[in-house]
Amino acid sequence: MTVIDPRVQEALDGERDPTTLPPELREDYARLIGAAALLRAAPATSVADRVMSQIRREVPAPRRSNWLLRPVTFRLRPVWTLAVAAAVAAVIFLPFRERATPGAEEGVAQFVGHFPGARSVEVVGSFNDWQRGALALRDEDHDGIWHGAVVLPAGQHEYMFVVDGERWVADPLAGRYVDDGFGAGQQNALLIVRP
Amino acid sequence: MTLLLLLLLQGPHGRLEGRVPAAAMPGLDSLIAQAVAESLPTEPLVQKALEGGAKGIPVARLVNGVRHGLVQLRDARAIVSRATPARASLDGDVAAVAAALARGLDPGLIERLLGASPAPPPGDPPGPVLHAAADLIAHGFPADSAAELLQTAQQQGLHGTRLLDVAVAASHELQREGGRTPTEALVRVRAMLPNVPVSTPPHPRTVTRRAGRGS
Repeated sequence: MTVIDPRVQEALDGERDPTTLPPELREDYARLIGAAALLRAAPATSVADRVMSQIRREVPAPRRSNWLLRPVTFRLRPVWTLAVAAAVAAVIFLPFRERATPGAEEGVAQFVGHFPGARSVEVVGSFNDWQRGALALRDEDHDGIWHGAVVLPAGQHEYMFVVDGERWVADPLAGRYVDDGFGAGQQNALLIVRP
Repeated sequence: MTLLLLLLLQGPHGRLEGRVPAAAMPGLDSLIAQAVAESLPTEPLVQKALEGGAKGIPVARLVNGVRHGLVQLRDARAIVSRATPARASLDGDVAAVAAALARGLDPGLIERLLGASPAPPPGDPPGPVLHAAADLIAHGFPADSAAELLQTAQQQGLHGTRLLDVAVAASHELQREGGRTPTEALVRVRAMLPNVPVSTPPHPRTVTRRAGRGS
């Protein structure tokens, strides 16, 4: 820290005429007076106050039309893309995988068939547009008894079992049958689902 | 919901394309167009065609099967119109009667059941009473007796799928230990009305899937 000469201090305090100072001190006096003028010109607020005032400054609201038309860029990491895809898949497929509760106009249909030695048994019918692969029965304990249950709209449904992907069999336990109308005397099983 | 939207957007032709042999398409398109022109429901015909395609039925038999379905729909509408002249034929009613015809139910009996039933609740389809009749007949009950029993049940306030319980109760009476004749079984069930036991559906906890068209 530089010690100010007492004579300079007296001049700064107005107790001494600065012109009476020796030339080397007069130069110091002039520098100090200049510095004091600079400090007086600087704003009275602190650095923190100035920063905060910038932050609080009201941002002009964008016009709604601009907001609607302005292109938006999403930046998504690949890992998040996978997570989003998994979530969408879960929403789509959960009803088929999880336990289902029938709605007011739906009922539960249970299918059971005894097909010892079969590799696969599926149910194909009017409830799934006769589409193959929509409802596979299970035989977890390999005792030849295949079973499954499904929620269906209330009403009448015709169906058949398809064994090993090629053999069409009317459900022997259906109790109700209807001629399939294709002229070979084959019958569909008939299911009436109650709400 | 998406599936339903797709189905609505897809016409019968779109639903059949790729599911039935290409050679069958002109014949099927023509039959479905006839059904549309006659204001008959087309869904039973589309289902029959899809069924034939899935089963690998040869083209001629497939088209004939769908044609047979169209004839049944025409017959069904005529029956509905005669049985309930004051009521416009609904697609669901026509399809239900066509299904009953396919089950082998006599047209006269169908007409009798539809015409004699008291005013059903709104939206109550005729399917259950027809299936109940067909069930009773399949179990060996005379058609007239079956129709009378069901009409009595309707008069006592049973309707919809509760009528199926009447048929189930009658078949249970037939199978009781010691055996009953159909006449005895009908007398027993008539005495129970309207309090026939309700058939219990499978427990929902055992359900692991929900089916949907094209799922």
